[in-house]
Amino acid sequence: MNAEFQLKLQAHFDGELSGPEAQEVEAALASDVEARALLAELRNTCGALAGFESEIKLPEAREFYWSKIQREIQRQEQGQPVRPTPLPWWRRFLLPSGAFAAVAIAGLLAAHQIGWLSGGARAPQVEIFLADSGAMTYRDELERTTVVWFSYPGENEFADATADDTIQ
Amino acid sequence: MKYYQISALPLGLLAIIALLVTALVSPARAGEIKLEAQLIWGTNDEKSPDPKHKAVDPKVEKKLKKLPFKWQNYFEVNRQKFAVAQGETKKIVLSKDCEIKVRNAGNNAVELQIFGKGESVGKISQALPKEELLVTGGNAANFTSWFVVLQQSE
Repeated sequence: MNAEFQLKLQAHFDGELSGPEAQEVEAALASDVEARALLAELRNTCGALAGFESEIKLPEAREFYWSKIQREIQRQEQGQPVRPTPLPWWRRFLLPSGAFAAVAIAGLLAAHQIGWLSGGARAPQVEIFLADSGAMTYRDELERTTVVWFSYPGENEFADATADDTIQ
Repeated sequence: MKYYQISALPLGLLAIIALLVTALVSPARAGEIKLEAQLIWGTNDEKSPDPKHKAVDPKVEKKLKKLPFKWQNYFEVNRQKFAVAQGETKKIVLSKDCEIKVRNAGNNAVELQIFGKGESVGKISQALPKEELLVTGGNAANFTSWFVVLQQSE
């Protein structure tokens, strides 16, 4: 049983063959066990699918539907590939680089405003006015806290000592 | 040879968004800055001997306790809220012996000058955006400490 007969058998099963062709297939089926097995398989398959797949009906004649597909294939095969108009070299360079520059400038401005780049602003500038005094600075980025610690001796009002150089 | 036209639109939009974000996060360049100064006493004693002392603002206390200081407890001696116009200087009295002068240097930067008994101890220039804390301090008697904490107020 060749492929052509298999297709013919399938067409016969679908009721698409004319009288003589149908008789020819019927005759073959009477003598060919393999052909009968294939027909049984087709019936089984059709029965299994019937419950899951509704029959799709074309809104127009089969030939007309196929001709539309054929015309579309031919149109695509004959059509030339669309080629964009080549840009001048300077525009091809300027378009991406201009946009990149804008993004970079905006990023730098944002970073500056947030303080990432302003290391000098983050680090406090400390001036000491007393000869016997000093200061050390400490920065805790996590806590966003800057500490300036003066060696200037302070005193609180609860202490007994009443030194002259108190801050409190 | 194939030519690809790179669209600048997405990158342009990105740039605009970045600029908008910049504008939103950037501090006010002009105008006054609202500040809060606190005079704080640091000690290892559980209670302050002065009933006028208050508990330190929890946010400030949390930050102070995370700093490498040896004191366990902090008490608020005085707290003052004030506003300083750009370029101007304001004098704040925090105790009878402690005064500060704060100058609004613009762009969220301040100059803090500390006075002890009328004598200038030091001056600090520092950017002070919101949520930032500028802590100045020094040792006090009996193993205690004084702190002047400056921050932008709400």
